[in-house]
Amino acid sequence: MNCDWVRKLLPFYFYGELPPEDEERVEEHAHACAACAGELERQRRLAAALDRRRAEPPPLLLEECRAELRSAIESGASRLERPPAKGPWTLFLEAMGATLAGFGRLRQPVGALALVALGFLAARFTGAGSGPAPASPGEVYASVRSVQPDNAGRVTIAFDETRRREISGRMDDRDIQKLLLTAARGDNPAVQMESVGLLRERTGSDDVRDVMLNLVSHASNAGVRLQALEGLKARMTDPRVRQTVAGALEDDGDPTVRMHAVDLLVARRDDSIVGFLQDLAPRESNDYVRWKCEKALRDWNASVGTF
Amino acid sequence: MPGRSVAEFMAQDAAEAVGARLTPQVDSLIRAAQRGDHGAFEQLVRAYDQSVLRLAMNLLRSPEDARDVYQEAFLRVYRNLHAFRFDCSFPTWLYRIVTNICLDHLRKRKVRKEEPAVVETPDGPLDRMDSFEEEAPQADPERSMWNRQLRERIEVALEGLTPRERMVFELRHYQGLRLRNIGEILGATEEAAKNCLFRATQKMRSVLGDCV
Repeated sequence: MNCDWVRKLLPFYFYGELPPEDEERVEEHAHACAACAGELERQRRLAAALDRRRAEPPPLLLEECRAELRSAIESGASRLERPPAKGPWTLFLEAMGATLAGFGRLRQPVGALALVALGFLAARFTGAGSGPAPASPGEVYASVRSVQPDNAGRVTIAFDETRRREISGRMDDRDIQKLLLTAARGDNPAVQMESVGLLRERTGSDDVRDVMLNLVSHASNAGVRLQALEGLKARMTDPRVRQTVAGALEDDGDPTVRMHAVDLLVARRDDSIVGFLQDLAPRESNDYVRWKCEKALRDWNASVGTF
Repeated sequence: MPGRSVAEFMAQDAAEAVGARLTPQVDSLIRAAQRGDHGAFEQLVRAYDQSVLRLAMNLLRSPEDARDVYQEAFLRVYRNLHAFRFDCSFPTWLYRIVTNICLDHLRKRKVRKEEPAVVETPDGPLDRMDSFEEEAPQADPERSMWNRQLRERIEVALEGLTPRERMVFELRHYQGLRLRNIGEILGATEEAAKNCLFRATQKMRSVLGDCV
């Protein structure tokens, strides 16, 4: 065991995350090596300094939070979703049949290519003579499709097997891009955020843009929707992008998303959305969004209200 | 024996909650809450809300943000509890929700490239640099200055972490969760959580240099 190896293990040793045999080897080495013992001491001092930074909630905050939660639930607010307001813009989009026309396929179950791209291999084992290899816990997940006993006392079991894999590559690698697109379409917001962040510079590609548009409209996580909006920033001259951003401004329940959407939408003059902004502004509950709509209308010499 | 931080001992409830198997009591509370029993839901909230608030407060260092995280997290639990299928422990499911909301907050701050220097408290604004344990009045002025520099360096070091590294470090160091559970919460492997923790400690040690 050399010093480099021990130093890589020190944080895990400190946090008790090493198996007992490695823990013992680190201890033995640290007893004999003053430099590594010093490194371990530095790790302890770092932890002690960080311990002093701990912030506890103010004394009454917990009770306030509980009361607010109770009140929100009793008032039924938690069950209320933002009403699906259908302003002129939405009606226009529906009438034009232009909205989300290509998105249906994105909501379809992930195809075979995507399954491979996700890093999971599917395989089926059948046949009386073959016995499936035992699965390693955490790596292989099986779903049994059929069980067929025969007269000879044997049984044939058909099952799907999925196996986790890792690949690495550069952003210009097609396989990496496909994986990121699949991850962005998934349902894990943390993975979606990472993927959308990486794809943001590639919205010139139709596939990437389609995924971003779909996320703006349908991602359940507001952070993902924001990230996707940010990715579309450079594509705001595309009418389809503008329509989707306008849809987010009108329908998104999260004010931060609407704030971001209005910033993108009014960044350049667009007389075609004057009526939409005039209709939206009086209904908008967020002060910033309303102010931004009204400011754009004034800047474009349009009346703020409708008559 | 490996060292354990003071914070880890203070926060065993989160660690134990996430690592523990589902007890029959929690199980029946969840089932009752799924049937619409508000009392059961409230008991469920009270079983875990202190550790949720503590996590949000320590990570975001703003009572207002911690309050937002609390509300959003438990309202999401309320809305989606019917879909909880017991295929992971309830605390793991809850912490998945909480960490996602906290990560959103951290990422928004990163996008804005700002971290509130002043936090709001019921007693008025407070410089977060002053939210450390206070030095005793008779403390050596040189030592006080050194401690202040150390605090500032720690802030810089923590701000240098990615939101994910920050979250893994928070859950391991302050909340005392095992890396295996952290991976499960964040939808990653234990190995990925381990790599994150390693990068976080290396980054902090490199920024803090001779201070520790």
